[in-house]
This record gives sequence, C-alpha cells and structure tokens, in this order.
Amino acid sequence: MKFTVPIGPQHPALKEPISLRMTLDGEIIRDADIRLGYNHRGLEKLAEEKTWLQNIYLTERICGICSHSHTTCFTQGAEKLLEVEPPRRGLYVRFLIAELERVHSHLLWLGVAGHEAGFDTFFMYTWRDREVVMDILEILSGNRVHYSINTLGGVRRDVDELQKKKVLDSLDVLRQRSEYYFKIGATEPSFVARIAGVGRLSKEDAVALCAVGPTARASDIPQDVRKDDPYGVYAEVPFEVCTADTGDVLGRVVVRVKELMQSYNIIEFLLKNLPDGPIAVRSPRRAKPNEVVSRYEAPRGENIHYIKSNGSDKPERLKVRAPTLANYPATVAMLKNGYIADIPLIFAAIDPCVCCAERAVALVDGRSGQENVVLMSELRKQAQERWKKAPLKKDAVWPF
Amino acid sequence: MNDTEIIEKAKALLGDAILEASNPALRRIFLTVDPKDLVRTVEVLKKELGFAYVATISGLDSGENFEIIYHFGKPSSQLNLRTRVPKSNPHIESICAVIPGAILYERELQDMFGLVVDLIPDSRRLVLPDDWPAGNYPLRKDWKYERPVEKIPGGKS
Repeated sequence: MKFTVPIGPQHPALKEPISLRMTLDGEIIRDADIRLGYNHRGLEKLAEEKTWLQNIYLTERICGICSHSHTTCFTQGAEKLLEVEPPRRGLYVRFLIAELERVHSHLLWLGVAGHEAGFDTFFMYTWRDREVVMDILEILSGNRVHYSINTLGGVRRDVDELQKKKVLDSLDVLRQRSEYYFKIGATEPSFVARIAGVGRLSKEDAVALCAVGPTARASDIPQDVRKDDPYGVYAEVPFEVCTADTGDVLGRVVVRVKELMQSYNIIEFLLKNLPDGPIAVRSPRRAKPNEVVSRYEAPRGENIHYIKSNGSDKPERLKVRAPTLANYPATVAMLKNGYIADIPLIFAAIDPCVCCAERAVALVDGRSGQENVVLMSELRKQAQERWKKAPLKKDAVWPF
Repeated sequence: MNDTEIIEKAKALLGDAILEASNPALRRIFLTVDPKDLVRTVEVLKKELGFAYVATISGLDSGENFEIIYHFGKPSSQLNLRTRVPKSNPHIESICAVIPGAILYERELQDMFGLVVDLIPDSRRLVLPDDWPAGNYPLRKDWKYERPVEKIPGGKS
C-alpha cells in the first residue's frame, strides 16, 4: 500500500515555500516530487528595467543569507561588460566580506543541522558564535544582512586599522569555537549516529544530477569554483578544497566544518596582505553590446549569472541560477528509500535557500485520501521519537 | 586541456555541426550549433570532453529568434552551447536523456519563454502558478506586466 504525502508549500526544515510530494511505502520514501514557484518574484524580468547600478542592490535581495554572493556575482560580470577594473584593495575588501559571509552561513547551517538532529545545545552554541561574525560584518559594512558593500568598480567602504584588529581578535574566538565543534562528535556519539548514513548520494548520482557545492563535495567531487575558475583574488589566496567521501549528512557536516577553518585562514590572509590604494574607481554608465558568464562559489555551491548587454545603461538579459535549484534533483535522489523521519534532516543538509514563511505539513492517507495537517514542530517531535527507539549505529565514527 | 584544445577537439569530433566558436575570455568558450545537432553535441561534450555538468540553461528573446544557451562546466573550463530556434516554431529537443540534471532548467524554459521541449520526461509547470493564464510567457520581450486594479471590499467604487 502506497501513500502520498504532500509537504509544503511551506518548508518542513527551513522556512521556505516549496512543495514536496512523497510517495510512501510504510515509512519508507519511494518517490519524491518537487513543485517550486511559490515565491517566484520575477526578478529576471525586473532586472531588465533597472540600470547596472540599481541591479547590484536588486540582486542583493535575491537571498537573505548569501546576499553578498549574488551581488558579487553580478558585479564582477557587470564590471567585465563595462570594461572597468576594480583596484586591488577594493577586491580584497569585497572578498573579505565574501568569506565572512561564508562563515556566518556555515555556522547558521551547522546550527540548523543540530536542531534537525535533535541536538539543540549544538544549535544554541553555533548560533551564539555566529553573532561574533555578524558583529564583524556590521562593523565592516554597517549592515547585518544586506551588506551593500559592492559598487561598480570596487567597494563602498574601506577597512581601517582598528577594524582590522577587531576582526583578527574575533577570528581567534571563532577558531577556538570551531575546533571545539571538531571534537563534538567524539564526545557526543548519538549526534554522529543520527546523521551517519542518512541521505546518501553516490558520486555517480551527484555527477549525473549536477549537484553543486558542499553537497557535491561531500560525495567526493572536488568541485569548487574558487579553485576551478579563480575569480577576484582567489588565484593569489592559498586554500584547500574540502571534500568527504561518505556522501551522507555526516559528510556534509564534515565538509562545512572543514570549510570554516579554510575561510578563517583566507580572512586572515586577506587582512594581513591588504594592499594600499583606492577602494573604487569610476565606472561608465553604459556597456557595449556583449555577454558574460559570471561564476561565484556561494556558501551553498556554484552561483552562475549570465548577463547580456545591449549598449544601453540597462542589461538586455540577466539569468540567475542560485545553487539551491541545482541541488533539488540530487535531493530527490537522496530522499528516495529514506525514512519519513529523515526528511527535515536531508532537506536541511543541502542548506536550501528560497525565502521565508513556515506553516504546516499535510499528511495524506493514500487509502482514504484524508488529509492530516501537522505542524512542523509536531513532525520534528515525531522524527525525534522515532530515532529514540531506533538502534544506535554503533559503527559510525566522527572523522576528526 | 586548455580552451583552444577543447575548441579544436570539438570541431574535429563534430565537424560542420559547429557553426561558430569563440573564446572571449580565459575558461569561457562559446559554441553555436543548429537545434537539430543539439543532443548529439551534448552527448559528445559529455563523453569525449568531460562536460557532464549543466550549470543552467538561459533563454533569451532576440526578436525573431529564441536563443538558448546551455552553460556547461568542468573543473578546468566553462563552455556555453548556444542554439537558435525561430519564434514561429519554438521547438527544441530535451537533453535530459544525456544529462538528467537539466530537467528543472528545461521546465523553467517552457514556463518563461513558451518554448516546447520535445521528449521532456516531465513537462509540468515549475515556477509559474497552476492558474497562470495560458499564452503568457513573462520573459518574452513583448510581455508586459500590468498590475490589476485593486478593489477594496466595501470601499468607494
């Protein structure tokens, strides 16, 4: 007997509108189907009616977590079309913010993963430490969410010596805390047991389904745009691409914790080697007819913008592909043959990022067609109940 | 393999199918093919040149034609495969048989441009709502959004 369970349009794991239809056999998921568009804002159409400068701030509003990723991806594309070269100090500040954003995004995700696994202490810890990096971002840019630091031909705010010292001091705190997260698994085996083997994605599937970012890297694909297609300052910054070979949620946690450490090193490098000079140059208003493909490694994976100019002060076409969209086909593969209790965890593991609004999950009984609306908190409670009864995976080990 | 070698190898394997090839920047390759050669080209790109990852598919309304650009990626390079279909007969073949991960982008193309993707495994709407009026394709240049007149219940007129 098969059941169909619609989940969403309000998201079970994060607060985002997406609809999932699960076909169940008992409590095992046999098929999953995704329906998007509950929050489609027509941004690509709108971008055609805004000038290059206005579009920087428009693209910033694509996402509330990786806002800097989109605006930087757009800005570096637009700068190529406008034939303007930002000064090196401007670039360093731009990618300093980018790495700080990656730190805050990964810390946020670690907290969500802990929360979905029923380990709320971890959630409290990471989110407390995330405030440290949020404060740095506020000191540097003046804003906590939309930093608005980019402009055509550079950045809008400089970094002074006092700010530099403050960031480096805070970095010590963050390093210490992240090293503690490295050790968490060894002292908290139930956390590792909960996430090991959940949401498995084989390397072949990850390639066929075009997975990106930490999701692909956890399936042992060393794919990172910062390394593969070095943009901005990344050609001169030393760092490593972090991978894991387990292909499950544990692997995705490992990749992100390792990336945190890499980001701290990058931030330190950028601050200590900050070149002197101006932070921005003047940019023309009109771009010659041309086209450009701009790639950027956002915290969630490759972000790609295709921009075409037509000689006016507005783009002819802006195509945005955010990393979460690329990971949806892979998510369907991960959910298949998993348990209904793992849905929040698997979904949270790709770090989905669409927009915000949480309501309920509807469970449909396949035989009677009766719909059961369950609150998210209830689903999480059910998931945790189930895992309390489940036998611990004693062979699961924390890789650090 | 660098960009020039990739272009040369693609030309050797596909011959006349490649109408234009350019390399405007480092790690950016643009190829143009006829729609009828599209699936064959994608197959060759995947099997012989290692472009197994489709980043996205961009549609573009250029007046008479639709331009469709398939953005491929692999660690050392990035390739954009362009094809043009006339607006009067907007049909294109699905590449999902070769690269299953392209399904969402093909569904998005159908929604936003009114292109018909033949042999698509799943042709339902992706981003537009179910009650969206038929024949409205937002990203076509001639489509303009008109905000419906707001009526306040119980308000004046």
